[in-house]
Parts: sequence; C-alpha cells; structure tokens
Amino acid sequence: MFEITYDLVVFITGLMAVLASLGVILCSSPIYCALYLIGHMICLALLFLLYHAEFVAAVQIIVYAGAVMILFLFIIALLGGRKEIQEASFERFMALSFAGTLFGELLLAATVGPTKPIQGAVDAQVLAEVGSAKVVGLELFSRHLVPFELASVLLLVAAVGIICLAKFPSAPLKRRTR
Amino acid sequence: MPHRRAGLIACGAVGGAFAFSLYALSQMMFLEAEQRAGHVLTLYTWITSETFTLNLSILIDPLSVFMFLIVTGVGFLIHVYSLSYMEGDPEFPRFFAYLNLFIFSMLVLIAAADFFFLIVGWALVGLASYLLIGFWREKTSAVLAARKAFVMNVIGDVGMVIAAFVIFSHFGTLNYLDVFAAAKANLRPNDDVALLITLLLLVGAFAKSAQLPLHTWLPDAMEGPTPVSALIHAATMVTAGVYLVARCHVLYELAPYTMYFIAGVGVITAVFAGSMALVQYDIKRVIAYSTMSQLGYMFLAVGIGVFSAGMFHLMTHAFFKALLFLSAGSVIHALNGEQDLRRMGGLRKSMPLTHLTFLIGSLALAGFPLTSGFYSKEAIILSSYHGEMGNIFFWAIAVLTAGMTAFYIFRVYFYTFNGTLRSPEAHPHEGPLALTAPLVALAGLALLAGGLGHWVDEFLAPVFGAAPVHPEDELLETIAVTAGVVGIAFAGILYMTGRDRLEFVKQALAPIYDLLYNKYYVDEIYDFLIVRPTKAIGAFLEEKAERQGIDFAVDEVGAQIHGVSRGIGLWQSGKVRTYALNMVAGLVVILLFVVFL
Amino acid sequence: MGPNFVLIISATIFCIGALGFMIRKNPLIMFMCVELMLNSVNFLLIGYSDFLNSMDGQIFALMIMAVAAAEVVVGLAIILTIFRTRHDLNVDHINVLKG
Repeated sequence: MFEITYDLVVFITGLMAVLASLGVILCSSPIYCALYLIGHMICLALLFLLYHAEFVAAVQIIVYAGAVMILFLFIIALLGGRKEIQEASFERFMALSFAGTLFGELLLAATVGPTKPIQGAVDAQVLAEVGSAKVVGLELFSRHLVPFELASVLLLVAAVGIICLAKFPSAPLKRRTR
Repeated sequence: MPHRRAGLIACGAVGGAFAFSLYALSQMMFLEAEQRAGHVLTLYTWITSETFTLNLSILIDPLSVFMFLIVTGVGFLIHVYSLSYMEGDPEFPRFFAYLNLFIFSMLVLIAAADFFFLIVGWALVGLASYLLIGFWREKTSAVLAARKAFVMNVIGDVGMVIAAFVIFSHFGTLNYLDVFAAAKANLRPNDDVALLITLLLLVGAFAKSAQLPLHTWLPDAMEGPTPVSALIHAATMVTAGVYLVARCHVLYELAPYTMYFIAGVGVITAVFAGSMALVQYDIKRVIAYSTMSQLGYMFLAVGIGVFSAGMFHLMTHAFFKALLFLSAGSVIHALNGEQDLRRMGGLRKSMPLTHLTFLIGSLALAGFPLTSGFYSKEAIILSSYHGEMGNIFFWAIAVLTAGMTAFYIFRVYFYTFNGTLRSPEAHPHEGPLALTAPLVALAGLALLAGGLGHWVDEFLAPVFGAAPVHPEDELLETIAVTAGVVGIAFAGILYMTGRDRLEFVKQALAPIYDLLYNKYYVDEIYDFLIVRPTKAIGAFLEEKAERQGIDFAVDEVGAQIHGVSRGIGLWQSGKVRTYALNMVAGLVVILLFVVFL
Repeated sequence: MGPNFVLIISATIFCIGALGFMIRKNPLIMFMCVELMLNSVNFLLIGYSDFLNSMDGQIFALMIMAVAAAEVVVGLAIILTIFRTRHDLNVDHINVLKG
C-alpha cells in the first residue's frame, strides 16, 4: 500500500515538474515564466526529497527557488516584462523537430542502452542516512574537497566579474548597418 | 660604477686566478711525475641519462696548469696595462667586463675535462673575441672585422661540434680520458674514425688559430683595442688550436696522415703570413701576420710530434708577442692612435723604455741567440728535420720563415724608432707606470724564459709521454741563426733610417710586392669564390623561389581561404538562436553515433 | 518509481529546455531554459545516486548548482549591461557578431 502511494506521489510530482517546465517555455509574459519556473523548482525539490536527497533538496529550495529566482524576478522588474508575440515560423518548426528528435533519441538510448548494475561502496549504516547533511558534508569535505574549493573560487570569480560589468559603464553601441 | 674600481676588480679577479694557478702548480710539484696527469674534479653532475652522462668537471694535469699559468699570467699583465691604456674611454667598465669574460671562457676551455665544455669554452672565447674586436662599435671597420672573425670562428665551431658528435657516436662518451683510453685500445693507426675526428677537430683549431685557409679574420681583428690584440689575438686565444691538438695528442698520434697535414699547413702558413708581413705598413697588422706565422711554427711542432716544443714555443711566443703588442700599443698611445709606420720614426729618444722593450721583443721574435724565442724556435726547426716525421722541406721553409721574421720585425723596429719623427704635430712621451710596468715584466720573461725549455719538457712529459730528445746539430743550428741575423741585417740596410731605400727593388719586384701588399688577394678570392656566388644565388632564389614560389603559394593559399571563409561567413548569422539550433543539431548527430553505432 | 521514470522525466525536461532555448527571443527566458536543462540533469544525478547507493551523484549535483548560480549571476549582469547600452532585449537584434 505504501509502495503504491509512494510511487503515485512520485509520478504526480514528476508530471507536475514537466508541465511546469512546459509552462516556462510557452507563456508569453516573462513574469509568468518565472513563476512557472519556481513551481518547477519546487516540484524538483520534492522529487529530490523523495529520492532520499534531503540536503540537496534543501539547497534546491534555498538557492534556486529562493535566491536565483528572486534575482530573476528582480531583473524582470527592472527591465520591464514585455510580452513576446509567439507565431509559427520555419525556425520554430525546425527547433521543434530537432527537440523532438533529441527526445526520441534519448528515450531510445534509455531503452536500448545497458542498465548499469547496482554497485555502491556504502554500508547499511550509512545507507540509512544517505542524503542527510551529515553524510553530504563528510563526502564533500573529504573526498571532494578540491572540487568544492574550486567551486568557491568559481563563485568568487563570478562575483568579481559582475562587479566589473556593473562598475565600468560601457558606451552605447552604434548599430552596424550593412 | 667608477671606472677605476671596475678596472681594479677586473685586475684583482685575474690576479686571483693567477695566484690559484701558482698554487695548483706548487701542489703539482709535490707529486711524483707519474701521478701528475689525469686528475678530474667533478663539481656537479649536470645531465644523467641512460646513455649519456655529463659532469661539470675540470681536468687538472700539467698541460692545463701550464696553460692556466700562461693565460692568467699574461692576462694579468695585460689587464694592468689596460688600466692605463684604456683610461678615459667612456666605456671603460664594459671593456673590463669583456676582458674578464674572455679570461673566464679561456679558462673553461682549458679546464674542460670533456669535449662538451671544451666546445662551450671554445664558443665563449669566440664570443668574447667578437665583443672585444667590435668594442669601438662606432667604427664601421671594427664592427665588420668583428663580424668576420665571428663567422670564421663559427665555421670552426661547427667542425668541432661535428667532431664531438662523431666522438660520441663512436666512443659513447665525451670525456677526454675515456675517449683517449678507448681510442688507444680500439683504433689502429690511420683508422678512418681517427682521421675523421682529427680532421674535424682541426677545422676548429685552424679557424681559432688563424691557419690557412681560415686566417683572414686575424689581421682584421687588429681593429680592436691594442690590449685585446695582445691578449686574445697573440698570446692566448689563438693558441687554443695548438692547445687542442696537444690535448688530443693521443688521437692525433693515431692519425699520422693528419699530423703530416698539420705540419704542412703550419709551415705553409708560417711562410705565407711571414711574407705578407714584409710589406704591411700598419704596425699592428705586421705583428698580427707575425702571430699567424708563429702559430704556423707551433702547428709545425705539434704536427711533427714534438708537442712539448710546440707548447714551449706557445709560452715564449705569448711573452714576446704580448710584449711586442703592448710596446706597439705604447707607441700608438704616445702618438694618439697613429698606427701607420710611415708616420712614425725616431721614437728611440722620446720613449727609451718602450724602445728597449720593443727591441727585446723583436730579438726574441727573430730568434736572436740567448733570447727565449731562440730556444723555442731552434727546438722546432731542428725537430722539423731530425724528428721522426721531419724532412728537408719543412726545415727549409722554417728557416726561410725565420729569415723573413727577422726582416719584417726589424723593419718595423727601424721604421718606428730610428730616423726622425714623420708626424710633426705629435708629442710622443713615455706612458705612466701602469703602462710600462707590464712591459718591463714581459720583457724580462721574453728575455729569460728560454732557460725554462728543459723544465717545460719534463713538466709536460706525464701528458705527452717521454720528454722528447733534442737533436744536436751545430750546422743546422748555425744556418737558422744565420738566417735570422741576415734578415736583421737586410732590414738594417734597407730601413735603418726609417725610410724605404732601394726604391728600385720595389720597382723590380712590383708584382710580388703588390701580391704581398694585398695579402695574396685571399680576401678577394673568398669574395669571388664564395661571397659573390652566394649573393647571386641568393638574388636568384629571392626572385624565383621566394617571390614566384613561396610568396606566390602563400598568397594564393591566403586568397583562396579568404574567399572560402567569405562564403562560410554567411553561415554566421550572429543570431544566438540559430547557434542554439546548430548546437542541438550537432547534439542529435553525436547522440546518433554514441548510442546507435 | 524506477530508473526508467527518472530517465524519461529528465529527458523530457531537458528537451523542453532545449526547445525553449531555441524558440524564445527574450534572453531572460532563454536563461530560464538553461536552468531547466541543468535541473533535469540534476534530477538524473540525484535519482541515480539513489539507485546506485552512491553519494557521488549528490555531490555532483551540488557542484552543478554552484556553477549554475555563478552562471546566472554573470549572465544576468551581462543582460543588464546589454539592456543599458541597447535598450532592447530581443536576442535576434543582437547580431553584431554577424560574419
């Protein structure tokens, strides 16, 4: 009984994530797009939770649905969310066909490709708390310390980069005529 | 840096090196004769690989100590001399830096325990020589002369490097001692390898020591300051070739053909250069040709196998030739840079000390009895007949050259110091103490070093095998001395008053005179045979190969690529979305390959 | 739900993101589509981390989040700068790099 409920919850959440993402690309007003994206993020966070990744789920909520989306909304508010007229065109058709092909290929790959046997180096005791902040922290600061530090450097570089972009005013560009 | 301090530091450095050389000599004297050879000090292992090991090591044996003493000793005197000679030159410190660089390089060359560092030192002395010849860089002729010397030396360097390759490929090592031991054990006399190696080494030796046909740079090198001519182009660097042959005597003894060749080239260079010196009017050029000629003697000596006689002549020559150059420098200094013999004269009264030292140098060069040159030259001349490889031709030409030597050097002497001064505006005067003290010291050595002949033979015996037996032959000795005296007498008759008498001799022998005065037209022959064809080929290639071949091809490739890229450029719409489309298309294709193929 | 569900969901979201990136003209929304694609990969990693009993997937997802955050910040700053200079947010009009 619990299994079925669990699966059902997972299925519905996944479906909602897909629908929300469709909403992102189909809405013409950017502000709605952003709201759909927030919904999508929350659905994904739920999925993470259901797949035993509590810490990542929390980070997803805080960083993505929180900070990043606030930034998006702020920029949209700053620049003015102009509506975008969406009409059918050859380009659109090409894009749709490419994306469709890609999707088909991915599905085929999923069914055709060999499924890797389950293999993990984690014992039962650790398994019980997989995804908790403690284990993630242990992993992060022991085996993955160098990538972690590199990520911090990356963030620092990004911070310096936007300061540079914001600080030095760039002269208005003349449109090239040719 | 104040000029004076720069000069003093330089002198102190060389003086210290001389002191250390003396210390090495004293240490060596404590050892038994058999134990003196073959001390290798490894200071540092530079390269170690499976097949090749290169140590920064120095070889201490009687030969290298002997050369240390000459180089640092004469070098020190010339440094002191330069203190005064170069005074007032705006680039005084640069001069001393170069001089020290030269001494360093020369010591590297001598101390090297393998062919690698020999070549390093070899190339470095070439560089120092280049820098010093071109020291007065505002003088076009000096710069050109420096370039010429460098090119000629590099020809030699190439020979040396190839020789080192051959040695390495054949013996698998560059170490002197290993190579010599292996050569002794494995090679037959006149083995192909031995001949090849010795001849290739000889290219370097001939270029550095200005032997035919690579001699043309030495007279031009006199464009440098006089102390440079004395130090590098008379006393030390040019003897490096002789040193090389002596150092590699094991190899050369395995190649008697090469030895004959060396002796032949040496004796021909001796007479050839001596004859050119007969008619030159530039005081330094005469001495330069004389240097070539004396180097010819040294090569004759090592070519006929009397290595220690060659080294002995190298030593006495270093003394008296440095003395002659420095005296000439003193004269030039006194006459404010005048180098033309025809504008000198009568300096005996105004410069008595220089006159005396020049006279001593000339006597030693002419091989006048009891001077040092007499002993060393006699030893060579006698061996050229009596030595196991000697013959009558070598002897005859050597004696002829001895006569010429006496003639041309006394021609210079009479021109310079007798008669009356022919440049009225000059006020010749004796130089300061720093200028004259080295002259006196060198004069003493030039006069007295002859007595060291026996000691040199014995000292170098551990390197060269047994000390050579000096043949006794009063007749030949007398003839050689007579040749020298006759030369002096002729010079006296013709130039006693410092004027060209016997104009009719000049007229009668005009073609020969022209030939000699123009240095046998060797420069012109090189120009005609090598430089012009090279230039013509260059011009031809520039037109045909460069413009119509390479340039055309490159331009065409560029033009075609330009056209094609114009076409491709249309693809680049500048629209981000189109790029995204292309990216996804690429992704689709890649997935196709990854998943299904 | 097993691996197939995760694969299908993440592939779908990824393709939707790619499609959105190709058809939308507003750079802000294009950025959101990039986020969609990154998130779909994150989901895949988390799911498989669970199936394979390995923490590596989660760590990797964290790293991707860090990169995405940095990218968003810089990207939005660039968009802001473009807007300041051109007063126009249609990417089709930004074609200075046209060959």
